[in-house]
Amino acid sequence: MDPSAQIVNVLQAATVLLLSPLIAGIAARGKAWTESRRGPSIFQPYRDLRKLLRKETLRPIGSSIVFVLPLFVAFGTYLVIAIIVPVITAYPLPYGSAADFLGGGLLFGLAGTVTLLAALDSGSNYAALGASRTVSFAAFAEPTLIVVFFAVAVIDGTNNPYVTTNLLAGSTATYLAPTHLLVTAAFLLLLLAETGKLPVESAGLMELGMLEEGRAFEHSGRLLALFRWNGWMKQFLLYAVFLNVFLLPWGFVPGSTVLAAVANIGVLLAKQVALVGGLVLLEATLAKVRLFKIRDFLAVSFSLAVLSVFVFVVLGVP
Amino acid sequence: MDLSGDVTALVGAGILLTALYLQAESFVNPVIDGIALQSLLLAGLLAWLAYREGSLDLALLAAITLAVRGLLIPYVLRHQIRSYRWRVRERLAAHRVTGHALAAVAVAIGAWFIFQETLAAAFPQPGAGLAFVLLAEGLLMLATRTNTLVQVVGYLEEENAIVYAGALFAKGLPLFVEVVVFLDVLGVVLVSVILSAQRTVIGSPEETHLEELAG
Repeated sequence: MDPSAQIVNVLQAATVLLLSPLIAGIAARGKAWTESRRGPSIFQPYRDLRKLLRKETLRPIGSSIVFVLPLFVAFGTYLVIAIIVPVITAYPLPYGSAADFLGGGLLFGLAGTVTLLAALDSGSNYAALGASRTVSFAAFAEPTLIVVFFAVAVIDGTNNPYVTTNLLAGSTATYLAPTHLLVTAAFLLLLLAETGKLPVESAGLMELGMLEEGRAFEHSGRLLALFRWNGWMKQFLLYAVFLNVFLLPWGFVPGSTVLAAVANIGVLLAKQVALVGGLVLLEATLAKVRLFKIRDFLAVSFSLAVLSVFVFVVLGVP
Repeated sequence: MDLSGDVTALVGAGILLTALYLQAESFVNPVIDGIALQSLLLAGLLAWLAYREGSLDLALLAAITLAVRGLLIPYVLRHQIRSYRWRVRERLAAHRVTGHALAAVAVAIGAWFIFQETLAAAFPQPGAGLAFVLLAEGLLMLATRTNTLVQVVGYLEEENAIVYAGALFAKGLPLFVEVVVFLDVLGVVLVSVILSAQRTVIGSPEETHLEELAG
């Protein structure tokens, strides 16, 4: 096996692992600016991690190994996803063929499910509330994800994200085709819901929904650090997929060398910062919807995804 | 690259998207804006076809669509809505976003299959089924909404479907027929506005409020 490809593989996983807190920090800082606050440093998530890793880890009485183990499983799962989706390369890495879009979706589902088990095993009512709410809305989000995969398959005849990236980067007509535009819009709505952004969820100073935050109520110390890190990695990976496969498939430095991959880290960072800026502005203009209205939000996302496939069937163009 | 086909498809998708928006929107004002946008998209498509075909009829039709459906009728409807008291001009509880959005998708798929089974052989043009789907979406609005003004918008959506079909099938229906259709629409809007004005007695265009007066 090509040793440089293995190095790029490690580099890609390290990018997700090490830069995901930075993107979360930039988002928090940007959000503070829109609220006329100075806000924390963009490196605050790293400081939080360092603090949490040093603190004592407490476990609720009656909790079992299920309280601990799933967080490590989720951590590993996100690292696996990091080496199979296009993050800093537009060509498949050695493990790129291990899973397509559907496989990636299943891995995200696995990480989400085991995290819920960790929350439920805590025995806390609040954690259980967060877990049950997350599941309730995930039941509406999953069908959208599946239909998005159908739409991607319609566009390029395969479910391989690398093929989609290269096809869209090379064809303006395909990029501007109604199916692609609609599926991008559907995925954006899904992204907002999955990463806890307004109008679905307002994590942070104005926590109201008890979705993401609720699940981590009983975790502390290193486990809480892992919980947070998992959330940031999930966000980073979803942003990377949205940017590299749907919204901005261009800009990759060509070549399969390590140097090109390093340059692509800068490209990815620039894209992610631009996306975070857009999402911060979006959040500044939106109010949080009531809890039971989240279902409406996801229903519209689902309708857009179905419409993207439907448009292909009715109009006969991708 | 077949630019004309791409433009038609893109506008067709935009029209379908506005149809979904109209179904999912609860408030009357944005619904009026939505039908105005749909009509503007249609006018744009007609203008594009007129340019491509060099047809004066289609150019006139595009101008009429822009003036009447895109500007005049939405203006009349917006003017009408101001006469209703705030908070009683729409009954939000009667509109379920999830239900209406999913119903819109289901009706679109159902209409497409009906079109395939019945009319597809006679109208093999790409996008022909879209007009039929749009017609069904307009009917769905008429059947499921209780607000008179929104029902008028549903009727306008049906008429948009007819114009879209005319533009697609026959490179535009004869202008006379189109003008008659527009007068028809204008007439319906005027009648609806008068009916709505009568309902100012109870201060709301909602049909359900009239039921309260039943003996």
